[in-house]
Amino acid sequence: MAECPVCGTEVPLGAGTVRGELIECGDCGSELEVLTTDPMTLGEAPEAEEDWGE
Amino acid sequence: MRVGFLHSLIRKEEKLLIDAFETINDVELVLLDDRQLVFDLHSRIDVDVVLERCINHSRAVHGLRFLESVGIRCVNNSEVARICGDKLLTAVALKEHGIPQPDVRIAFTEKSALRAIEEIGYPVVLKPAVGSWGRLLSKVNDRDAAESILEHKAILGSYHHSIFFIQKYMEKRGRDIRSFVVGDECIAAIYRTSEHWITNTARGAVASNCPLDTEICELSLGAAQAVGGGVLAVDLLEAEGRLLVNEVNYTMEFRNSIDTTGVNIPQKVADYVAAVASQ
Repeated sequence: MAECPVCGTEVPLGAGTVRGELIECGDCGSELEVLTTDPMTLGEAPEAEEDWGE
Repeated sequence: MRVGFLHSLIRKEEKLLIDAFETINDVELVLLDDRQLVFDLHSRIDVDVVLERCINHSRAVHGLRFLESVGIRCVNNSEVARICGDKLLTAVALKEHGIPQPDVRIAFTEKSALRAIEEIGYPVVLKPAVGSWGRLLSKVNDRDAAESILEHKAILGSYHHSIFFIQKYMEKRGRDIRSFVVGDECIAAIYRTSEHWITNTARGAVASNCPLDTEICELSLGAAQAVGGGVLAVDLLEAEGRLLVNEVNYTMEFRNSIDTTGVNIPQKVADYVAAVASQ
């Protein structure tokens, strides 16, 4: 579990969670990034940049 | 073997690929976050191969070139990334290999771009040379729209938007095809269907299975070969009674295509990368 930085809800995180992983807060719907895994911390995911994509 | 996994954010595709590598014996996956790395001209990361999964085109193409310069094989390689990340270079590569594509013009000023648009005839599609997910695409239906859009692009502030990539608009009956190439095999394809003229799944198009046939496979493999080969997604248009190649994507997204096609795309990619490392 880690706290959503937007709404404060505890977000469940699985055992295979890796740093940099994108997840969605089930409560407020914010897109979040896993910043650290030990301990688990979350930050808001970065905004899309001009050269993002495939 | 040690497989480097060059990434930034871990999206669903990257997570699926990580899981796929874990099923392969003897593979140790080394996560390389492009936001943490510092490259120099001599140091070699201790890996046998790198799979590129960056979200930024600029980081991918430059990171790969550095890795190659110290002798690391990369999937895809930097030249493939350079060509596929730039629609102008892709169009040239396709042309040089005789791969059919929509009529294209390149222009560098508003005046010459307008002339090019009128040469092709309305409607046309204006695309940024670098960009994905259907962002900043413009369907230009008449001269009034052309003048307005060209003026807006010219003052956007980045020189990229004054490189005008103009493509003939192809009536595609509400769908296009995305095929997936891994090495010398076309492994699957989907239809992307939308009421909107932009049929990217990132823009809400619905994916459904597209059965592979000889034409799709041959054209997809030809397009992949034209840009240098590897792991690629090829966008095809059904127009004028034949298939045309619209774009080739080098860090392909496939989250909507696994259940749809029944093909384990991430496992195919992981197996291919492991095979490259073994060569």
